[in-house]
Amino acid sequence: MDNQLNHSQLITDNSQLTTHKMIQLKNIEKVYRTDTIETLALSSINLDIAKGEFLSIMGPSGCGKSTLLNIMGLLDAPSKGDIRISDQKTDHLSDKQLAQFRNKKLGFIFQSYHLINDLQVLDNVELPLLYRDTTAKERRQLATEALAKVGLSNRIKHFPTQLSGGQRQRVAIARAIVGRPEIILADEPTGNLDSAMGNEIMDILINLNRNEGTTIVMVTHDENMAHKTHRLVRLFDGSQVQ
Amino acid sequence: MIKHLFKLIWNKKKQNFLLITEMFISFLVIFAVFTSLVYYYRNYKKPMGFSYDNVWVINYQNAKKFQSTDSVTQYYATLTAMLKSMPQIKALSFASGNVPFTSSMNTTGLSYKGVSYSPVNYYQTGDGYRDAFSMNLLEGRWFNQQDVVSTYRPVVINASLKEQLFGNGSAVGQLISDNSNSSIKKIKIIGVVQDMKDKGDYLPSGMALYNRIDTGAMRWLGQLIIKVSPDADAAFESKLYKTVANYMKDASVEIQHFSKKRISTNKSTLVPITIFCIVAAFLIINVSLGIFGVLWYNINRRRAEIGLRRAVGATGNSVSAQLIAESLILATLSVIIGTFFAVQFPLLNVFNLQAGIYITAMLLAIVFIYLLVLLCSLYPGRQAAAIYPAVALHEE
Repeated sequence: MDNQLNHSQLITDNSQLTTHKMIQLKNIEKVYRTDTIETLALSSINLDIAKGEFLSIMGPSGCGKSTLLNIMGLLDAPSKGDIRISDQKTDHLSDKQLAQFRNKKLGFIFQSYHLINDLQVLDNVELPLLYRDTTAKERRQLATEALAKVGLSNRIKHFPTQLSGGQRQRVAIARAIVGRPEIILADEPTGNLDSAMGNEIMDILINLNRNEGTTIVMVTHDENMAHKTHRLVRLFDGSQVQ
Repeated sequence: MIKHLFKLIWNKKKQNFLLITEMFISFLVIFAVFTSLVYYYRNYKKPMGFSYDNVWVINYQNAKKFQSTDSVTQYYATLTAMLKSMPQIKALSFASGNVPFTSSMNTTGLSYKGVSYSPVNYYQTGDGYRDAFSMNLLEGRWFNQQDVVSTYRPVVINASLKEQLFGNGSAVGQLISDNSNSSIKKIKIIGVVQDMKDKGDYLPSGMALYNRIDTGAMRWLGQLIIKVSPDADAAFESKLYKTVANYMKDASVEIQHFSKKRISTNKSTLVPITIFCIVAAFLIINVSLGIFGVLWYNINRRRAEIGLRRAVGATGNSVSAQLIAESLILATLSVIIGTFFAVQFPLLNVFNLQAGIYITAMLLAIVFIYLLVLLCSLYPGRQAAAIYPAVALHEE
């Protein structure tokens, strides 16, 4: 695994990006309504993310970063606007179609890992494959390969509570990539880690982007991490400012 | 997916232990309730084997001292003739105290070809007993005057005893041994009657042996069975009472109707099982609320996991189905343990009930537990399906 990746290497990779748009957001608006109050979480977001791009989203707490990521991940629907992923419109998809779409096209990484503590590492990584038509043998093979990519081949029988924060996040990355998705959405993946661990995780993501061509969208509070990506988008009060 | 669920359940065995125990205890209670209900229902479905309508019993306690057996015979023959002269009386018979719908029991033991059979209900009856109760004769005949001079003591048995002794073979003419006295006596079967549910609609007749009243036994009897015509009213009952009371000076006399005694007997049988069912129902309500509460609590505790599953490809329905399946797997584990204990009852012949009763009760209890768990899981499962993944994934 490459631990010494730097910004210049990514800039080089940036020049190799295709013009094919992986994610297209047009006039995205998100309003949260209660009986008495309306909160505008996102306003007029227009964003195109190219295939193979590594994009970071920054902004102060409550500016709508996670909301935007959830909308890209089809976990939340926008109040207005269009989303296209891999040239496919998503607003008409049923719950079942959305679930299949997430399962095949998207991988998620969360700040708090969201591993199931009652399952071993291998079972956690196999989780997305359970919702596909795969055999137990295939699942085991794919999960083992994914764990090897994040350097955790020797931890497959461990439970998440027996791992460090960095190792847990690596398991979460293995879970995100096990289904070979085209897009990975990472919500503050280094937020709970110290800088050394954070860099390790970042290197894994950069390698994935560079070697596998995976499109990555990462929400972060860390300027250093954000500057390692191809492009940085800043949000403020639900609007895109950069 | 099933393997995945088993892993999840196994790895959470400590948390699941209490839930499994709760379901296991519920299974045993429900098994006990269904065993009772199936037992009573099976008995209820069997024919009564006799008619109790317009049949009365005169209970008497005669204080009269007799000098000889002949005087006793003469005394009761006169009473019999007096009553038979009444047009409303269609049949009558003296009987031992264990008349239908009383708690009084008289049992004996029998042996045939070296095998003992007990307990066998033992009835002292007169020649008119069968006519009084319109008993259904299946084989042979009932007692009559020719039995006075028979070599062996003649007896009539019921179908249950016949099946035990001879299976499908014929019983009439067979000699069996009565073990009731110190000296074993040979007795001869002259007839077989249908089982008579004389302990009420919900209890079995058991094995029964009917013995013809010996003249020497008359002084110890205290029951006179009378079949009356449908037009026998309260005025006739009053006349009958006066006739008997005037004849039996110093005796206490009471007339009872078997139709009323049947209702009273059935009530006393049903009251304990009704109380048992009510207590069990409260327990089941308690258990269902417990299961419901635990499942709901689990769902709230597992919101992040549910959110994650939705994110990686589960639909709302599949999350709901998963949680219901988990509950049903836990129910299956409880049922397996419960069945292991329940199956000991027919194997060890506890309470001397037929194996079919236990097996039916076990099947009903299994279905009941699954339905209970399914019902208790449906709402929490729907709640889980409605969890918004974007929200659940951002809760800590």
